[in-house]
Amino acid sequence: MINFLIVITVFISMEGATWLIHKYIMHGFLWILHKDHHDHSTDGSLEKNDYFFVIFALPAIALMYFGSLEGFNYVFYIGLAITFYGMAYFFVHDIFIHQRVKLFRNTKSSYFLALRRAHKQHHKHLDKYFGECFGFLYVPKKYFKTKK
Amino acid sequence: MKPYTYFLILLFTVFVCFIASFDKRIEFHKHFGAFIKSAILVAIPYILWDVWFTIHGIWWFNFDYTSGIVIAGLPIEEMLFFICIPFSCVFTYFCFDTFFKLDWLSGFNNIIVFLSIIVCSLIALLHPEKTYTFVTAIATIIILIYLHFIVRATWISQASFVYLILMLGFFPVNGILTGSGLESPIVNYNPDEFLGIRMLTIPVEDAVYGYSQFLWVIYFFKLFQKRESSIG
Ligand SMILES: [Zn+2]
Ligand SMILES: [Zn+2]
Ligand SMILES: [Zn+2]
Repeated sequence: MINFLIVITVFISMEGATWLIHKYIMHGFLWILHKDHHDHSTDGSLEKNDYFFVIFALPAIALMYFGSLEGFNYVFYIGLAITFYGMAYFFVHDIFIHQRVKLFRNTKSSYFLALRRAHKQHHKHLDKYFGECFGFLYVPKKYFKTKK
Repeated sequence: MKPYTYFLILLFTVFVCFIASFDKRIEFHKHFGAFIKSAILVAIPYILWDVWFTIHGIWWFNFDYTSGIVIAGLPIEEMLFFICIPFSCVFTYFCFDTFFKLDWLSGFNNIIVFLSIIVCSLIALLHPEKTYTFVTAIATIIILIYLHFIVRATWISQASFVYLILMLGFFPVNGILTGSGLESPIVNYNPDEFLGIRMLTIPVEDAVYGYSQFLWVIYFFKLFQKRESSIG
């Protein structure tokens, strides 16, 4: 039960961490990796931006490894939560928002539509600075109301 | 009959695909050249791996089920295994690639590579003393990193999906080799060197080992295919 709570808590705090990382690191000193996600300058299906999957995988592996050495204690579950967040990120960001797989195109869920709108807004800024909507699963309220 | 068991398994695996290769809608026989080159290229390191594992007693063979021709400690059938099994695998992949548009799966590459690398790294870190487990996990990580980040292969998900379907053939074939329906297994594993998790009689490592081998063969097959079509 406590492990379940850890997973949930870490999963939620990952949203905050992602916001910080996106705003200050991806749009900061690692902009070289994130740039092509905004301007689509890389040919082919793999963007340089996809290297962030590796950057998130490394701490997840380390945490799950050291956690399992200690008999699968809370450290393991923190790593597990990061992995789950990575999967959620993939499904929502890669598949749903950027349509790398053409699924759920015609969704009517207001949450998902708002999510897509907010992320589009983020992508409108093609340069490193002056971005907005750095979050990911959390959507600011204002994106809900604009219904055709 | 018993000494031909292993041989008959291989023959059966190849036979159906071989006949179907000449079907007008498939015409896989036009790609035999590309296939045999890629299969041999991949067979070399995998046979060396096999020889090394046999020498160190990580697995061993029951010669009651083989013809008796032995090269470098391996029954000849085991060597043929590295041509016959890839043949039916590449054939299946080729058919799926021709008949079904599976390109849309490529969006899943990120998640497949991400999850496989996390799982394989964890298992390798946790069981470095189990040689079969460790070497298989490392080999799989290397091929996935190479294909995804260096070659930027778009077909990783496609191949993984076909491999999942190939499991239908993998279970009976590898099942018999590992002892399903036989008095004793043809291939035996040292219990200290693998995780000990078996799917029926098949060690999980076998599925991952097969996956890494499959990805390599498809990679080279596509490479030689491209080269042939650019010449021809
Ligand atoms: Zn951004
Ligand atoms: Zn984009
Ligand atoms: Zn995006």
